[in-house]
This record gives sequence, C-alpha cells and structure tokens, in this order.
Amino acid sequence: MSKGYARFITAFFCLFLAAFLVANLVLPDREFSPEENRYLAQRPELTLESITDDEGTFMTDFEDYHSDQFAGRDFWIGLKAWGERLTGKQENNGVYFGTDGAQTLFAQFTSPTAEDMAQRLSYVNALGENVDVPVWFALIPGKVTVWSDLLPAGAPLADESGALEQAAGSCVSVQWIDLVTPLMDHKDEYVFYRTDHHWTTLGAYYGYLALMEGMGLEPVEFTGTPELVSDSFLGTTYSAAGAKWVKPDEMYRWIPEDGVKVTSYFTGMPEEGALYVDSFLAEKDKYSSFLGGVQPLCVVETGHTDAPKLLLVRDSYSDCLTPFLTQNFSEIHLFDLRNNNMSLSAYVEENGIDQVLVLYSTANFTTDGNLFKMGI
Amino acid sequence: MVFSTTYFLFLYLPVVLLIYYICPLKLRNLALLAVSLVFYYWGERIYVIIMIASTLIDYTHGMLVEHFKGKGKLKFAKMAVASSMIFNLALLGFFKYWDFIAGSLQAIGLTFMPVLGIHLPIGISFYTFQTMSYTIDVYRGDTRAQHNIVNFGTFVTLFPQLIAGPIIKYKDLGDQIDHRTCTSDKFASGVQRFMVGLAKKLLIANNVGMLWDAYKAMAPGELTVAGAWLGVLAFTFQIYFDFSGYSDMAIGLGRMLGFEFMENFNYPYISKSITEFWRRWHISLSTWFREYLYIPLGGNRCSKPRWVFNLLIVWAATGIWHGASWNFVLWGLYFFVFLMLEKLVWGRALARLPAAVQHVYTLFLVLVSWAIFAIEDFGQLVPYLKVMFGLGGVPLADGAFGYYLRSYLPLLVIAGVGSTPLLSKLWHKLPRKAAAVALPVLLTAGLMVCTGYVVDATYNPFLYFRF
Repeated sequence: MSKGYARFITAFFCLFLAAFLVANLVLPDREFSPEENRYLAQRPELTLESITDDEGTFMTDFEDYHSDQFAGRDFWIGLKAWGERLTGKQENNGVYFGTDGAQTLFAQFTSPTAEDMAQRLSYVNALGENVDVPVWFALIPGKVTVWSDLLPAGAPLADESGALEQAAGSCVSVQWIDLVTPLMDHKDEYVFYRTDHHWTTLGAYYGYLALMEGMGLEPVEFTGTPELVSDSFLGTTYSAAGAKWVKPDEMYRWIPEDGVKVTSYFTGMPEEGALYVDSFLAEKDKYSSFLGGVQPLCVVETGHTDAPKLLLVRDSYSDCLTPFLTQNFSEIHLFDLRNNNMSLSAYVEENGIDQVLVLYSTANFTTDGNLFKMGI
Repeated sequence: MVFSTTYFLFLYLPVVLLIYYICPLKLRNLALLAVSLVFYYWGERIYVIIMIASTLIDYTHGMLVEHFKGKGKLKFAKMAVASSMIFNLALLGFFKYWDFIAGSLQAIGLTFMPVLGIHLPIGISFYTFQTMSYTIDVYRGDTRAQHNIVNFGTFVTLFPQLIAGPIIKYKDLGDQIDHRTCTSDKFASGVQRFMVGLAKKLLIANNVGMLWDAYKAMAPGELTVAGAWLGVLAFTFQIYFDFSGYSDMAIGLGRMLGFEFMENFNYPYISKSITEFWRRWHISLSTWFREYLYIPLGGNRCSKPRWVFNLLIVWAATGIWHGASWNFVLWGLYFFVFLMLEKLVWGRALARLPAAVQHVYTLFLVLVSWAIFAIEDFGQLVPYLKVMFGLGGVPLADGAFGYYLRSYLPLLVIAGVGSTPLLSKLWHKLPRKAAAVALPVLLTAGLMVCTGYVVDATYNPFLYFRF
C-alpha cells in the first residue's frame, strides 16, 4: 500500500464516521416516525443522577435516542430489509415476506399456551355471566390463516388454528360466531391489506354478513359502489418490515355517513366524531381515517331508532366494520378496554344495551393485557 | 459499551480518534486511559472501581516484585507475586464464581454460603488474567515493571480489547505502551481489519444467531433431528464470527491507535483434529493457560499420570473460565477427553486417514461441543443432545426446518466459506490495481450495509457477558 493510498483509505473511513457524527448533531430530532408509526426516543436529560444511578438511565436512554434519531434512519432500515431479502431471508423484524414477490407482508403469530388462552377466554365467559343480555364472541382470523397460501412454506410462527379452536370450544356463557369460514370463502379477494394487519373494508363486509347472521339479524346486502379514498396506504406491517419495495394498498369506503351521529371520547370527554376522518388520508396512518383512531369509547347513533343497541368490546378492526353496523343498530357503543376502566356490566345496564359483541383479531386477543377488565 | 452500536461507531470512535490524534504524543496514553474509563463506565458504571482497583493493586505489586528482586530478596518477591494472584483470583472468584459455588452447594443441601445475586462485571475474566500475568512476568524477568501508573492503567483499560479480548500479556505490549508509531499505513490496515470484524459480527454472527435462538427456544417435542443439527450449526457460526469478529475489531482499532495486538483466531474450523482446533481457537486464552498454569504445574515433563492430571486441571479451568456454570466445566472436560484420546489412542491413526475424514471428525466433535457450551441448563441440554442423536423420538425434519434451511442457506454458505482462508487467499491474489479499486468499493459497501444493520438492530446480543 503506497503512502498516498493509505492516507486515502484513512481519510475515507474517518470522513464517513465524521459525516454521520456531524449529521446527527446538526439534523433536528424527530418526535414521531410516520414510517415506523411510533414515537422516537428523545434526547435524555444529562444529570448527575441519570449517569450514576444503578440502572444507567442516561446511557440506556441515550443508546435508544442515538439509533432512533440517526441521520437517514428510514433509509438505513430499508437498506437492511433489502439486505435480508437479497440474502434469501423470508422475514424481517417479525414479518414474513409473502411468496408473491414479498408484496404481501404477514405479521408473525405466536401461539399462546393453552393455559394462557384458557385464562383469556375465562374473562369473556365472565362477561357473559355478569350481564343479562346476550353476549356474542368472535375472533377475526389473520392473514396468516386466510392467506396461508402466500406464506413462505413451513413458516413456523403462523398457525392460529389452535387458538381459534380453543376459543370456539370454550364458550360457556357467550355464543361463538365463526369468522374463519366466511373469510376463507373469499380468500381470493382483497379482504386484507397486504401492508397492514387490518382487514379491508371488503373483509369487514364479509365479517359483517357473518356476524349478523350469527346474531340472528338481517344483514343489509351492499349494492352501491365502493369509493376509493386512497391508493397509497402503507400500513403497520410494512413499517415493521421496512419493506420499501411493496406496492401501496388501496383503501375504500362503502357506506355513506348520512344520518349518523358519532360521539368520540378520545380524552374521556365527549366530542363530535365521525365515521370517516379525511385528514388521516393525507398522513401515513390512513387506517385511522376510520373513526379517527384509538379512543377509549365511541358512541354511534343511527336513524334506525327501533333497532337494538349494541355494545362492541373491540380492537381497531371494528373501526372499518362500524359503518356496516349502522344499518342494523340504533346505537353502537364501541368500547376499547385498553384505555377504559369502566365496568362493562354497569355500562350495559346504564345504557340499556340489548346485545354485546366481543370482537377481536386473533393476534390482539392473544396478546392484549386488558382482557381481564371484561370480568369486572 | 459494545462496538456494534450506532453510538460507538458514529460518536465514541470518531471523538476518540480526534482526541487521540490532536493530543501531543506525551499525553496520548493519558487520553487513552481517560476514554477507556469512559468506555467501561458507560456499560458498567460503579464496577469501573473494580478495574481501577485491579490496576492499582497490580501496579503496586509489579513495583514491589521488581524492588525485591533487585535487592536479591527473592522470597519477598515471590510473596508479592502470590499476593497479586490472591487479589486477582479473589476478585474473579467473588464476582464470577461466588453465586455459582453458593448455588451448587445449596443444591446439595449446604447453605452456609448465601446466593448474593452478584453482577458479573464485563471483561473481568480478561483484565484479571492480564494483570495477573504481568506480575508473574516481572518476577520471571520476562518484562520490566511499568513505573508509570498512567501507562500501566492504559495497558489494563485499553478499550479495544477490554471486554472481549484478545488476552494481551504485558510483556507483549509493554514496549508499545511506552513507544509506538502511528502511521497512515497502520491506520488503513486497521480500517480494513475493523471493517472485516464489524461485518462478521453484524452481518453473519447476529443473523445466524437468530436461527440458533429459534431452535434454542423450542421445546424438545418441537425439535427435529435435522433441525437440532441446523440449530447447533448456526451457533457454531455465531460464536466463531462473533468472537473472531470482536478480535478483528480489537486488532483493527488497535492498529488505528498504533498498536499491534496478537492474533486470536486462525481459521479453527479447518482443523483436522481437536488438538489442532485448540491451536487455532482463542489462541490468546490457550497460550495464557499454557504459560501460567500448564507449565507451572509441570507440563509434560513429569510422570504420565501427573501429565494427565495437569491437562485435566487446565481443561477444567478453561471450561469454567467461559462461565460460572456446570455445562462449561463439562465442555472443558469434553475437550480434555478427546485431547487425551488423540494424544494416547488414535491421534496417529487419525492423521493417516483421508483429510476429508479428519475434517468431518473434527467438525462433528466441535459441533457437539457447542451444543454443550450453548445450553446452560442440563434439563434442556440432555433432551437437545438426545434429539441430535436421534433418541428424542421426534421426526427427522419438518416444515419449519425446511423454512429455516431455505431462509438461511445463503448465509450459512457464506459463513462456511468465510470460516476458511479462501477469501483471504483470493484477495491477496488480486492484482494490485484491482485491489486498489476494489478496496474502497468494498469498504463503502461494507460501511453502508453495516450501518443499515446497526441502525435497525432489533437483535444484537453480547455473547461474552459470562466470560
């Protein structure tokens, strides 16, 4: 190695390090990453205590901060995802790449133990016992079940069948409604977003038909034309996988909002809400355009004043299902256990609820830590 | 602090290099000492005191040994060596082995030692060995005592080798601590070496590590015979690429700072016998045990039973050095048994077999050894080994095995090739001009890809926290 060349290599390496040292110092910190759909770590406070305490608070926080705020973070995450894909990996960060050229992304599903699942199901049965009105229970299968044909062969963390069978077989004081068959019947249709974990409006429609039938109600067949509201939706599974190569999803609205009054309780206080919140369509988190995102409680009042009142104990999959439900109920009370500590049995009595539906995606039902509140 | 993180690569390292090179020569050791203490404090905080204590104790003892030797008081010099060893072994014994001994005693009903839940300070196994050998070498006359506390502190705390070796002996580094030259040639070769090590760690070790973790997490009933072997193969590559990658990074960083450390790995997986494997694996550790344990015990210049006993001690010690757990003892003794068999029974016959058979024999034994090494819990280890040898009553393979094999095959092939000197040979055969063009291209690509992997580091384990 000539001296000049050695200097060139030395300078090259040092400049590479220095470039990012400076870039990280100069570039402003971001609070939220739409691409990853999460809040990024912020610069930790440097105090004598934070650098000397037993936990090493400052150092640990700084490590997260430094990589979260790293210059060009989104680019690097995409580069890594490409690296994984090009070396033959069929997954990245807990997301399987579909066999359709990695266009369909599957969040991995870890089966709960039978004991854990039994515990979770006992909360549902406890709810059934605590209230005097009929309680229905359904779990929405994930893409790993409905679109298993597109999974990489032998993908180990993708089997929901055990959890679903256990749920179906454990209903004592509630009535089970199967959603696997109705969705499987339409598995060749666009029932899930390829880049997000949610079902599409079409998927929710098939779910709606099955739920109404199961509850003994007359579903309203859809005869209109779905309205395309976005063709650039990149969902949470895309974010987790860093799969920058996927084509975005399309998002549709089916049911118009006419004659519906929505009251949202984002902060616990009632405020006027809507079935569709257009502003989210301009953001990354387009799925939140249904009902406006996470809220502890949401009450939807419809023009069908003779129809029964429904309490829906639910996760975000119900956001795009609710418009369909407005055709069959006078009121729909959407209850999110994550941020809501009200007693369900008291709520049923106080609001004159006629039917209760517990509806979760299988993935959320097997991981959510708030299900115990159903039993209170 | 760990090398394979964004804050080491893009904050600590450039700042350290800047400080180091703007410091006048005289102050560079002081600067290195200061930044090395920051490096250690970052991850271990209050435990930095143990390292400082070890430094002060051995600095003093080195001076005492030299002083007594100079006055012809060999007995006092010997006592000083003994005192240094007691201090170091007591530190290591307490922080690394107290809970292990207490727990083992409680398991057989003896409760006089309470389990204290002691935190194992990172790197303690490395730096206590380094400081202990220093006083011994001063006594043996293999090196002079270091009179400058800053220089001695720099030796002990030198951040490139602090937490994962190589175990550098003072007699090999003392001259470089006092005088070393920093040239762009050395720096550039350090950059290449560091890059190789970083890629080994981030691109290969971390990746195949995920495969091993998938198999390690499975219950015996979920395993398959082929899967269990695939899992162990993944760990085989993980430990080698992780450990030798760390050594490469240490050697590379050392060169950037003007040091030349000893090599620690020499393609161990191309060995044709277990004896050869241990000449190529973690060389700095095996030579340490040879110099400071095996030979003082009498080596092989004694009766045969005594020689066997000496080896038994050395291999039990090598095993337990890797972690305070019985499986590491078993792992050491496993090698003792096969080394003895090679020396006494089939070593010569083995050498006459076709090379392929010798390689298969060695790799087979090495793979099994890694299963013993990687699974600390006997309740999990025994069923895993049973499955490996077809005694688990599980199928030969399943869909998950196919999935993992397909997903990791390219990486396993790369790791396999990377375990041999092939790539290095090819690189050196490259015409000079081609190499001059290829180097910056590879360096750019390597830095870019490694940055991608380190920024999105959902998985970046540190394997040596038990060492």
